[in-house]
Amino acid sequence: MISVKNIWYKSNDTHLLRDISFSIDAGDVLAVLGSNGAGKSTLLKCLSKELTPEKGDVLFKKTLLGRWHNQELARNRAVLSQHYQVTLPFSVEQIVMMGRYPHFKNHPLPKDYDIVKESLAFAGISHLQHRNYLTLSGGEQQRTQIARVLSQLWEEDNNEKLLILDEPVSALDIQYQHHIMQLVGRLSERNFAVIAVLHDLNLALQYCNKALLLKKGEQVAFGDTGVIDRALIKKVYDVDSDLVYHAASNKNYIIITE
Amino acid sequence: MRYGLLVMVLIVLLIIATVLSVGMGPLQLSPMQSIAILLKQLGVPLNTAYTDQQEVVVTAIRLPRVIFGIFIGATLAMCGTAIQGLFRNPLADPALIGISSGAALFTVVVIVVGLQIFQSLFTILGTYMLSIAAFAGAFFTTILIYRISQAGGKTIVSTMLLAGIAISAMAAAGTGIMTLIANDAQLRTITFWNLGSLGGASWVNVAVLAPLCLICMIGLPSMSKALNALVLGETNASHLGINVEALKSKVIILTALGIGACVSMSGIIGFVGLVTPHIVRKMIGPEHKQVFVASGLLGAVLLVIADLVCRTVVAPIEIPIGIATALIGAPFFLYLLLKERKNQIVF
Repeated sequence: MISVKNIWYKSNDTHLLRDISFSIDAGDVLAVLGSNGAGKSTLLKCLSKELTPEKGDVLFKKTLLGRWHNQELARNRAVLSQHYQVTLPFSVEQIVMMGRYPHFKNHPLPKDYDIVKESLAFAGISHLQHRNYLTLSGGEQQRTQIARVLSQLWEEDNNEKLLILDEPVSALDIQYQHHIMQLVGRLSERNFAVIAVLHDLNLALQYCNKALLLKKGEQVAFGDTGVIDRALIKKVYDVDSDLVYHAASNKNYIIITE
Repeated sequence: MRYGLLVMVLIVLLIIATVLSVGMGPLQLSPMQSIAILLKQLGVPLNTAYTDQQEVVVTAIRLPRVIFGIFIGATLAMCGTAIQGLFRNPLADPALIGISSGAALFTVVVIVVGLQIFQSLFTILGTYMLSIAAFAGAFFTTILIYRISQAGGKTIVSTMLLAGIAISAMAAAGTGIMTLIANDAQLRTITFWNLGSLGGASWVNVAVLAPLCLICMIGLPSMSKALNALVLGETNASHLGINVEALKSKVIILTALGIGACVSMSGIIGFVGLVTPHIVRKMIGPEHKQVFVASGLLGAVLLVIADLVCRTVVAPIEIPIGIATALIGAPFFLYLLLKERKNQIVF
């Protein structure tokens, strides 16, 4: 659905991305991994059309990203940022309704209200519907934003959708981290592809099927999450680790031993 | 409070304020007489007795002044809403951040310098010239303040307010220089501009003001959705398919047009654009379409009533309306500052 071909990005004479290439399809959940300054956020900005790569192409649904009209693009992909600076007292429902803005002209249709309701329920915050966003806790605000990006893509059609998440769970308590990642996993069953920057390797192993590892702007590895091993972790994060097999989930988990 | 109910209440208040305002003054009319005269203008004759003199006073003097108040109050309040949406901050106000001062400076320059070149500005063309000058002043000031106060996609509020102080000071200095070379008649005009007054109302001026204000009043609400999305930040708004650069240009041009038209007609009337949207948001929330409509109505009501008080409370002396709005608005602004400091949301 989205394929990245040899992209480079330069800012102030420093290459923040060097020759990145990968591609994913609907149903994939890709974890973008790497330590601070690896270029994860820059890559996400190139994928969301916020930045234009210096060299190389980003193809979204076989069309160059730069050729997509903004509004059409907004109906097909949504982006969750790390920070939101909301200064006016919008209600949770109003914030989530903003996800429907690319879909209606002046007034929301009944369908838009239904989708907002479903998104709120999906994110587990139906009870916050009429609350003032500014009075919510950090985790509640994050779940509101997640409901907003969900409502942006929530159509009962067969169109493939791309969801880009920049550190979706960093601000959340552990139970919500898993709650959100489970939601993300369920989306992959609905014709969604998901790209998420994650800091927690075990969340990546548990909920993602693909991984892209970056170090100082370079691509260290791309493939199934199974490719992540001790050598790779040492290379990307410069720490020693052990992989431990968990029989019930039939998955490996990582313990940092350093 | 429900939006529909608020709009109904405000429309009723506006009608009451209009009737009171055309009836009160040195020549007193009963409300029934006022209503009868107003309805006659709309082609509905009533059976109430009034003198020809009363009718002339209402139609030639008081009615254009009330219409002035309605257009200027509504435009200032709606422009305040738009500027607050653009800056993503409830403390932005066209007068407070120097936009009105910029418009006033350009106007004063045209009055003093332009009068010497063109002899007379008191024609429709001359009045439009003043509006164009005020528009240019408002436009440049808005762009300047916006550029100065934005960093990394968000508004640095302290910078915005401080830049407003600097620009107001510069504009005051420029106006001061103009007073040195102005003659007596020009001096009175300049003073009038600096304090703000609806005393310049006439049907000719209404004919100039109304179309400019209407463009602003129709154009701004059409940007409500985009302004709502802008609250998430510029990048996130663009991820929702909003063309943020186009939105910013449109808001700046329309508000400069509205503020310019108002300042060229009435001088600087501060705080209407700050206080009105704030009261409205308290009652019905921050959704821009609703805030635009309700603020426009409330701004009109407030300015018509303020003008009525200003010209009757110590008659025959008329208090400049800018003084009255500052007397009410400035303490309100301080209250907002204190409240925001407690919430620590804005700074």
